[in-house]
Amino acid sequence: MTAEDTVAGVTARAVDGDGRISITLQVNGREQRIQVRPHHTLLEVLRNELGLTGPREGCGVGMCGACTVLVDGRPVSGCLLPAALAEGHELTTIEGLEGPNGELHPIQQAFVDHTGFQCSYCTPGFILTSKALLAEQPDASRDEARAYLAGNLCRCGSYVKILDSVMDAKERLKG
Amino acid sequence: MDSHPSFAPSGTQMQVPGMLDANLRVRGRVQYAMDAKMPGMLHAKLLRSPHAHARLVSIDASRARALPGVIAVITGPDLADRDDIYPYYGPIFRDQSVLVMDKARFVGDPVAAVAAIDLDTAQAALDLIDVEWEELEPVLSLDDALAASSIVHDEPPRLGQTFADIIVRTEANSNICNHFKLRKGDIEDGFAKADHIFEDVFTSPPVQHVPMETHNCVAWWENGVLRLISATQMPFSVRAQLAEIFKVPQTRVRITVPTLGGGYGAKTYAKVEPVTAVLAQVTGRPVRLHLTREEEFVTITKHGMQIRMKTGVTRDGKIVARHSTCYFNTGAYADIGPRLIKNGGFGTGGPHKIDNVWVDSYAVYTNLAPAGAFRGYGVSQAAWAYESQMDMIADRLGWDPYEFRMKNLLNEGEPVMTGEPMYDAHFKDLLATAAERIGWDANVKAVRHGNKVRGKGLSVIIKASVTPSTSSASVKLNEDGSLQILSSAVEMGQGAETTLSVLGGEVLDLRLDQVSITHPDTDFTPYDQGTSSSRNTYSMGTAVKMAVEDIKQQLFKLASDELEVAIGDLEVFKGRVQVKGVPERSVGYGDLVRKARAGNLLATAVYASNGGLDPETGQGIGSVHWHQAAGAAEVEVDLDTGRIEVLKYHAGVYAGRIANPAQAELQTEGNIAFGLGQALYEEMIYDGGQLQNGNLGDYMIVSIEDMPKQISLDVLERHESHDIHGIGETSLPPCMPAVGNAVFRATGVRILDLPITPEKVLRGLRAIARPQAHGQEIDA
Repeated sequence: MTAEDTVAGVTARAVDGDGRISITLQVNGREQRIQVRPHHTLLEVLRNELGLTGPREGCGVGMCGACTVLVDGRPVSGCLLPAALAEGHELTTIEGLEGPNGELHPIQQAFVDHTGFQCSYCTPGFILTSKALLAEQPDASRDEARAYLAGNLCRCGSYVKILDSVMDAKERLKG
Repeated sequence: MDSHPSFAPSGTQMQVPGMLDANLRVRGRVQYAMDAKMPGMLHAKLLRSPHAHARLVSIDASRARALPGVIAVITGPDLADRDDIYPYYGPIFRDQSVLVMDKARFVGDPVAAVAAIDLDTAQAALDLIDVEWEELEPVLSLDDALAASSIVHDEPPRLGQTFADIIVRTEANSNICNHFKLRKGDIEDGFAKADHIFEDVFTSPPVQHVPMETHNCVAWWENGVLRLISATQMPFSVRAQLAEIFKVPQTRVRITVPTLGGGYGAKTYAKVEPVTAVLAQVTGRPVRLHLTREEEFVTITKHGMQIRMKTGVTRDGKIVARHSTCYFNTGAYADIGPRLIKNGGFGTGGPHKIDNVWVDSYAVYTNLAPAGAFRGYGVSQAAWAYESQMDMIADRLGWDPYEFRMKNLLNEGEPVMTGEPMYDAHFKDLLATAAERIGWDANVKAVRHGNKVRGKGLSVIIKASVTPSTSSASVKLNEDGSLQILSSAVEMGQGAETTLSVLGGEVLDLRLDQVSITHPDTDFTPYDQGTSSSRNTYSMGTAVKMAVEDIKQQLFKLASDELEVAIGDLEVFKGRVQVKGVPERSVGYGDLVRKARAGNLLATAVYASNGGLDPETGQGIGSVHWHQAAGAAEVEVDLDTGRIEVLKYHAGVYAGRIANPAQAELQTEGNIAFGLGQALYEEMIYDGGQLQNGNLGDYMIVSIEDMPKQISLDVLERHESHDIHGIGETSLPPCMPAVGNAVFRATGVRILDLPITPEKVLRGLRAIARPQAHGQEIDA
């Protein structure tokens, strides 16, 4: 790694002896300055550098949604985004959804009440994508939710109760 | 418990949520094995064979070892030199080595392992390992394997000690590694009585479990004890294997298991643990191995299978004989294949009363990824054959598939294929409900709207649960009256810990918040055979109930002295022992424990089911009880594109007693998702032994949009029953034939090889356009 290296779309910057660059991320409302290798994904950095284990790798190629992070409110696969490209954006992980004392967000509460999960590995991704859905389409129909959530995979197949959760969350958010 | 809808088992004060730790789960804070962090932990990567079948000529890891940040590299030949390690494992045969020692047997067979300070370094080191291979003729299909021009395992497989009941028949210079036989009645006489005989060949491809959490573990050595945190469904099986590998007593291996991110059979038996443990030993540091999705695909799979099924029926619609020849492709290493062929083999008998059955079921080695336990355990492949054939026979003879099934489904007390009488039979109820819910009409085969045509299909299956099997549990009743359950049941999303807490707590009429349950820890939680085979709620549940019942009797004895009444006059009510019907004369559990100066009351119970099959006839006790399910599908097929949409699906399953309604529904819905994937999309596609679609971009699993918009469930409960039937897998096998039968009724296209893709449907439509019958009747 040399100082000339660039990451697509990011200005060249100093690389330390360990091949790391310094970046600043806004995660769940907090500014975090960290050293990362330029090829490290946002998912790797959230998990390994910031200790946030809610985002999880499921496929590594942006197909399953288990690593979903909200980037300025929109769902993005954390496994595809180089961490350096997330600078300057508001990042929200599942850990950022609850209140200061662990109070559940209405979407989270709906998933609890309907048991919208089994192994729950994919649950943070589903909840974050649902949050984006209900922000964009507060009156989303069940069919619209199906289409919007199609990029999140649940191998346990809890889909019926996930949809029940999202439809209930919609009402709660209007409440 | 702030949960709704909650469930109150009758006669108790319990409010049961879907999942005890739901709050943690929706906050993303539940911890999986991969979230464990150890000080000084190293990261492992595996170098894998690029060849399906190749002799290892030489391997040189010196350049990799010299890379800064690499702490250790081990190779197969390194292990061969070590006297303190027995480098083989596998649940039946010790046919898999920790790393390739002599030859690689599938593309992806690990040949070297690196431990480094970070993953980047470990990955970089793989490129610096020089391997010379001599390619051998690969065995890429069942046909290759049976031709035996190339042999996957040159030596006869080393038999392990794991299973007392396993029947093993190996043949020299053959790729067949086991043969299961079932001989019921007189097969020749049976076919002689038949008016019509049909013979068809069905195939199912290898598919992968795709647990969202891939296989992973952390291993380290602490004062001579091997410690692991592992995502496994079978901590005791893994412990036994590791003790054998390191030649130490089982007390020097300790495995803890946090919640799993899905298992579905993939995480049964040792997988990533042996190599990780060796790396931890060599480096003296904690080591994590966490497979990528691509690696997961070649770690363990569902058996590809071919079944030749011959069935004889009388002109009045009774099945009188069935002959099945089954070949299970178990891949490069047998895993549990030699045992699974038994369930898949006798499974071809189906839920029908057939007096004469003959089955030969074979586990066959090939140079493909190993196959093992997969949700359904051989029954999916068997049911695809017999439930497809039921409709084919009905169609050829002009019968209603519903009536044909009704005429042959097992009644109470009639012998199942393994000879024992069926009890608690509900096949006909399940089928009747399925037909009603899907709107079955014998007179309407297909409904066409423009270029789209709709049709409906039915199926009914029978499945065993592993028999004999053993679970044990310990319980402690504390001085405050709270109950602690020590169980090795693995929570993998099925709600095991919630359900066991309910089953234990209700014996003492406790609130759920007064009950706690541990994750498996082989040092402290007692033995369990494994969380598999839909056995946990029944088998471990029985052990837990027996142990808590023991505590209850201890409490009654103490209370009898305290209250000066006979034990027979006592009952439990809301955490207290009372004189029957007299709450004023009662004493709290905690008071009894304290007065006894016991510290805590302790009890342990073992539940071991009995059974097993005769090795020559396959007759005996095949299952402690038989799992029963029905499925019904309505599909719409686009005649221009062949695309299939499942509009409606109904799943019926017999549950005996339901311990957790939310989880019962979730598992049944999950089976629908699993089954529709296997019906329509899932297939591991190989080219020359190279997997072509080992990632979630190319390998399709069911998404929320693929689910039918109309789903109905019939989780059948018999309220007077205390017999809990496992339902984790039961409603899966009906899916594939129900869809296949619906596609046939809609289009006339009969698909014999899964999955039912648009290409196959279009090809079938074209074939029908030419005047040519599909399927054939043999002269009886």
